Amino acid sequence: MIDITDCRVSLATKADLMPTELSFMANTRSDQAECGVCEDVFTLQGDKVPRLLLCGHTVCHDCLTRLPLHGRAIRCPFDRQVTELGDSGVWGLKKNFALLELLERLQNGASGQCSSSDESLGGSGESIVRCDEDDAHVASVYCTVCATHLCADCSLHTHSTKTLAKHRRVPLADKPYEKTLCSQHQVHAIEFVCLEDGCQTSPLMCCVCKEYGKHQGHKHAVLETEASQIRASILDMAHCIRSFTEEISEYSRKLTGIVQQIEGGEQIVEDGIGMAHTEHVPGTAENARSCVRAYFSDLHETLCRQEEMALSVVDAHVREQLIWLRQQQENMTILLSEVSTACLHCEKALQQDDCRVVLAKQEITRLLETLQKQQQQFTDLADHIQLDASIPVTFTKDNRVHIGPKMEIRVVTLGLDGAGKTTILFKLKQDEFMQPIPTIGFNVETVEYKNLKFTIWDVGGKHKLRPLWKHYYLNTQAVVFVIDSSHRDRITEAHSELAKLLTEKELRDALLLIFANKQDVAGALSVEEMTELLSLHKLCCGRSWYIQGCDARSGMGLYDGLDWLSRQLVAAGVLDVA
Amino acid sequence: MKHFMKMVVQVWLYFYCICLWRCFKFILRKLTGRCELQRICYKNKPGAGRTLKIEASLKSSKSKLLQSSVTVHPDAIEKTIEDILALKKVNVDTNPQLAVSLQACLLQIAGYRHLTVEVEKLRREAYDSENPEHEEMLIKLWKLLKPGVPLDARVTKQWCEIGFQGDDPKTDFRGMGLLGLYNLVYFAEKDTTTALQILSDSLQPKCRDVSKEEFSKVSKTEWEMKKFDKAIGYSFAIVGINITDLAYNLLISGALKTHLYNVAPEAPSLHHFQQTFCFLMNEFHKFWIEVDPVDIMEFNRVRNKFHKRILKQLQKTDMALCPHFAASESLVNV
Repeated sequence: MIDITDCRVSLATKADLMPTELSFMANTRSDQAECGVCEDVFTLQGDKVPRLLLCGHTVCHDCLTRLPLHGRAIRCPFDRQVTELGDSGVWGLKKNFALLELLERLQNGASGQCSSSDESLGGSGESIVRCDEDDAHVASVYCTVCATHLCADCSLHTHSTKTLAKHRRVPLADKPYEKTLCSQHQVHAIEFVCLEDGCQTSPLMCCVCKEYGKHQGHKHAVLETEASQIRASILDMAHCIRSFTEEISEYSRKLTGIVQQIEGGEQIVEDGIGMAHTEHVPGTAENARSCVRAYFSDLHETLCRQEEMALSVVDAHVREQLIWLRQQQENMTILLSEVSTACLHCEKALQQDDCRVVLAKQEITRLLETLQKQQQQFTDLADHIQLDASIPVTFTKDNRVHIGPKMEIRVVTLGLDGAGKTTILFKLKQDEFMQPIPTIGFNVETVEYKNLKFTIWDVGGKHKLRPLWKHYYLNTQAVVFVIDSSHRDRITEAHSELAKLLTEKELRDALLLIFANKQDVAGALSVEEMTELLSLHKLCCGRSWYIQGCDARSGMGLYDGLDWLSRQLVAAGVLDVA
Repeated sequence: MKHFMKMVVQVWLYFYCICLWRCFKFILRKLTGRCELQRICYKNKPGAGRTLKIEASLKSSKSKLLQSSVTVHPDAIEKTIEDILALKKVNVDTNPQLAVSLQACLLQIAGYRHLTVEVEKLRREAYDSENPEHEEMLIKLWKLLKPGVPLDARVTKQWCEIGFQGDDPKTDFRGMGLLGLYNLVYFAEKDTTTALQILSDSLQPKCRDVSKEEFSKVSKTEWEMKKFDKAIGYSFAIVGINITDLAYNLLISGALKTHLYNVAPEAPSLHHFQQTFCFLMNEFHKFWIEVDPVDIMEFNRVRNKFHKRILKQLQKTDMALCPHFAASESLVNV
């Protein structure tokens, strides 16, 4: 006991522990070691396992997990020194093996002191049996008559007399089991085992117990056979346990392997000529990280490129504008000088005598004529051109820049015949409902909405025209697919057409707006039903799409659809710039 | 300010001209002793030239009676004419021709107005598949255009063969209503040969001359595909509906007056309109072949061009869209 404490103190001084942590030795039970933070006793494993920080302090695992993370590092609660954590976090910190060893020894010492029941049970063959004659000797034989354990020397020595020499002595391993005597009938050995459920707490019985005692009339078995049965089952169990242990160890091996795979590290690799050398193998964590890094650096690059492009567009615009303005400026200067010259001329003429004025008349009229012409030109120009210093800038979703009050967007309207494409187009264009005739070919109209200018191509939906739709896909930013929600029979046809559309390469990046038209008709499919029926979530997976219920008769929902389109096309927050 | 001045001048000029015109009319009347209506009747031959001028004159007249005479019911025409003659103090005995001419003109004007109403009513009447009359009409159209071919069902893909868009022709009549169907049936019935000819032409693949060299270049499958593409000619039925729309627009805008006043000495009626439709169908078909568009997508362009051409033709007052085909043989004599 004492020497263990000594050892611990010496160990502690060796580990250079701080006084705070040392306190656990002074004020707590001397055979326990506690965590300096939570004051709970350290254990060999589990939450309270002691782990070592870089500064040398030991804190239990549980407390370590509760420490606040600073990026990928934690701070020692005692001296604020930083310890970097690996991928596996707190789990990656080394256990304090010195302390663990100490704890183990402490525990073993305690158990060795408190009981020796293990020894009394005979235990396994490994435990040492002392010679009964001399404690210093180790027994090797057993005298079956004297029932004593003896070493070889003592056996010769004690059994040297003629009578005693006859005693049968067997090697210790072959020592017969001692017959246990019944606790109630001291003279009788236990020979039977009771099989009744009620007697399972004390199943052993001698012949007296069996015939007359408390186990009278109970079902029973012979002790030896029962014991051998139990032995056999224990053996079985041991077998099972062994395989189970193997499984566990296999599993833990796997876990270690996986941890290693994730963390990566040095690995010994043999190269072509058989020379072994260590090589750094990247773990999956590292791979993932580099993946993320690559993705974002790509993104950065693209962004930089896009920024440059956008800036160059703005530059070009500004340059053009400025060049034009400067030219105008120059023109104005020239004009001004011309006008002033003319003025001067007139003034000069005024001051001259009558004859000369008359002579100068023709010249003056010519001058005035040119002046008038120039004035006319000037006013025309001023009427035409609005001087505006503002440069309205709009950004598209793909980070292109657009300069000008209106952004042009090409939209194509498709759908089955009779779905209402033309009606929608004319409703948007003229805000009037008209019952159109079947479209042969296409209609094209421009619709202005907010700061967008939609060029809408409405292509006929007739069966024979559908193969021609593809000519209208090119450079289309959005497809508006119109479905007649009142016509349930044709939903499957619409679905197959839509599915065909979505496989088109030209439409890969196009927005998809679905108009569930004719919502005003009684019994029309609702937007939700339509989404379900067309399995839109599956069909349009991975592209931006939107379904909008509408009614071309009243115009309900049409502008909501356009709103969605404009939101998709223009980067957020700049819609109202212009 | 400048614009405003311009406008003021224009307005003033307009009123001045009207004033001048009235003075001029007054002087003429005093000189010749005839009223304007008389002058028109004597100067112009019967037909669109006369009727259009009479109509314009009546509409711009100061007199309420003359203004309302344009919109009078056909039965009340005789009474109106008596009133007019009384108002204008025309001696019936010395001018026996005037009353007759005027009556003919008014009949035509009223007939045209009545025709517009009738056509509008037909157009507004939607095709109803519950109505046996409508159904009968549709089946009749099929029988006329596809003699000997039985129709599998009421709703069938076969309808595409005569140029409807889908399985059920009903949906294609949305814009033009029954008018489209009536016109198609009239065309197929009264001028069967032409209709069948146009139908078969519309189904024919468009043959373009392909030289032997070119033919050897393109593989056979490609050739087949091209042929298929070319086969997308225009579709008879929906083109018919489109042309109905064209005719309807001409009628509503009043452009057809020239034609109808010329071909119908009495009041123009629905069958005149339908004959016009037949003629337009035939003309359009010829025009289409003449223009030879690349594919059906050019339809609207061709149609607009055709519309302009017809409008131009109708501007000449002595012009009748004089069709030389079976359905309108009776008209040629007019």
